[in-house]
Amino acid sequence: MRRRDFLQVAVAGGVGATLGVPAFLRRTWAQGGPIKIGMPAALSGAYAQYGIQAKRAAELFSKDIKGKGILGRPVEFIYEDTAGDPATAVRKAQKLVEKDGVKFLTGVALSSEALAVSAKCPEWKVIFMSTINGAGALTAKAWHRYFFRVNTSGPMGARAISLYLAESPMKRFFALGSDYAWGRDSVGSFTTQITAAKKDIVGTDYPPVGTKDFASYIAKIRQSRADGVYLALPGQDATIYLKQAHQFGLNREVKPIMEILELENMKAVGDAMVGAIGSSRYPFTVDTPRNREFVKRFHDLHGVYPDMFDGETYEGLEWLAQVITKAGTDDVDKVIEAWEDSSYDGLEGPFFMRKCDHQAVQLGFAVEAVKDPKYPHPIPKILATYPGEKVTPKCRTEEFS
Amino acid sequence: MANLVEQLLNALALAGLLFLVSAGLSLVFGILRVVNFAHGVFYMLGAYLGFTTVALSGWFWPALVVVPPIVGVLGALVESSTLRFIYRRPPIYQLLLTFGLALILEESIRVLYGPTAKGVEPPVQLQGAADLGGLLYPRYRLFLVVLSLVVGAAVWLFLRRTRAGLIIRAVAQNSEMADCLGADVARVRTLVFGAACALAGLGGVAAAPMTTAYLGMGISVIVDAFVVVVIGGLGSIGGSMAGSLIVGAAQTWGAYYLPETAMVIMYAVMGAILIFRPWGLFGEEE
Repeated sequence: MRRRDFLQVAVAGGVGATLGVPAFLRRTWAQGGPIKIGMPAALSGAYAQYGIQAKRAAELFSKDIKGKGILGRPVEFIYEDTAGDPATAVRKAQKLVEKDGVKFLTGVALSSEALAVSAKCPEWKVIFMSTINGAGALTAKAWHRYFFRVNTSGPMGARAISLYLAESPMKRFFALGSDYAWGRDSVGSFTTQITAAKKDIVGTDYPPVGTKDFASYIAKIRQSRADGVYLALPGQDATIYLKQAHQFGLNREVKPIMEILELENMKAVGDAMVGAIGSSRYPFTVDTPRNREFVKRFHDLHGVYPDMFDGETYEGLEWLAQVITKAGTDDVDKVIEAWEDSSYDGLEGPFFMRKCDHQAVQLGFAVEAVKDPKYPHPIPKILATYPGEKVTPKCRTEEFS
Repeated sequence: MANLVEQLLNALALAGLLFLVSAGLSLVFGILRVVNFAHGVFYMLGAYLGFTTVALSGWFWPALVVVPPIVGVLGALVESSTLRFIYRRPPIYQLLLTFGLALILEESIRVLYGPTAKGVEPPVQLQGAADLGGLLYPRYRLFLVVLSLVVGAAVWLFLRRTRAGLIIRAVAQNSEMADCLGADVARVRTLVFGAACALAGLGGVAAAPMTTAYLGMGISVIVDAFVVVVIGGLGSIGGSMAGSLIVGAAQTWGAYYLPETAMVIMYAVMGAILIFRPWGLFGEEE
């Protein structure tokens, strides 16, 4: 064997040995060090805004618990950029688990990424905490006990806005959802809800993720003579749709109804967005003492107002810290037990983690984009608030009773 | 009838936008023999610089004039400082270089502008929808159609009717022979690369009011632009125009008439064309 060959084999063997040590062993060695939370988040690419929201929340959380930590141990966030791609997300998550030894994964941006990463978590024996992902399947078909969803899901958002629309004079709706798990789930839920309320769905379309020209869909929506168009489009796609619909003069004829009414859209679309309604996972305008405090701290640190996933991710982290403290350890199985059927006092109201599918029961909101001279962009005004029992689906399903 | 007209206009507007991007991509390939992965990012840069210019001046029109030359100069600098040295190497080097450039530029833009998309208002004269005999159609999209036609005609005339255009075509056909005949090939390459980037920048400024300036817009457009160039034939301006029309029509009509196929229809069309003309509609057999 020549020297070079030997070196290659030696290096390969070394790498294999490091990766080959069972994860639980490396974990025990790490006991007593910092509590590590892995964030395989979309930090670049078209959906970077979501990953960056998760990161902003983590930064504020780190600042808030500085000196205290969790169980007296410091908290370390490890960020990895997935660029919004499911395959990359799995690779980065695997790196976080196997190399960095994290026991908690969060901050995953897209539902497509979440479905891919969550599927691996039982094998890795790590907790996946969703604070962003909407796909109903995550707490239904694809659910397992390592998965926790702190945020409002897509079907829950669809439920909240459907309850609101049931009372409104609008009768005919067009549904437009991005062609992936979250878009299709949300449109499915919305269709069921709205039909149950004796109203009509007059058309449905699923534009591909990343559509940059909605002209064809706008033409169809106009021809359908709908009163409102239900939109389950992720960040950038929604911004482009709203801009273009405004230029076509469509927003006056057909009211935009967003599955998630986000600040990101309101900032980019501006005044053309005023009048759009929708559900919100977390409207920063909620008037509770806890939230007022949070918004102020957030604005002081980042210079912007918290968007939906800033709020939801912060709540997730705070809740996770609470259950780790309650469990007295960061052992994954003990944390799962401590979290099940536990309550948490969130920014906008009470949260309850039900044991049967780890979906957090929480308030649902119907909101409208309005102008307010105090803010540099339109803001969500709360139209209606629904109690958790009304907007949370039956266990491990996407259906409501 | 109004519906057919609307569908036609939709296809033309998208085609116009695609043409502004793919023309430069095609030119660079024709003359430099480089598949420029960074082309989409120059388009994105155009959109963001357009946003800045509009924010500073309060007007849209200056952006259309100021931004393309800036992007063009940047492109020329990139060519003369990096690409120039690796023309003789295998194509994988150029691919890696332009791909790396795309990543660097895109991340720089994200660091500078942040993750939130930047909305750009169309000029006052082009806001809202025009009434075309009962059909409401955005004025700005009509403008896009006209703009791309004017630019297309200008580029074509320049290449066909001017002495500089003649030299460029000579370099495209046989760069060594052109070099022997006294053409400054290195300079031609730098200028063409710069001009192509300027076109992409113009496309970006023009796209911003329609799509906003956002991260990922470069990647999203470059895929379409590659399809356009492959359909039209690498290196041909006429081909870019034809390819843009075909892709624009496939995407808008596909989304309208066959929504379930919106994702694949563009590639299906490309495949069909390549079966009969592997070198593209206007390309030359090599």
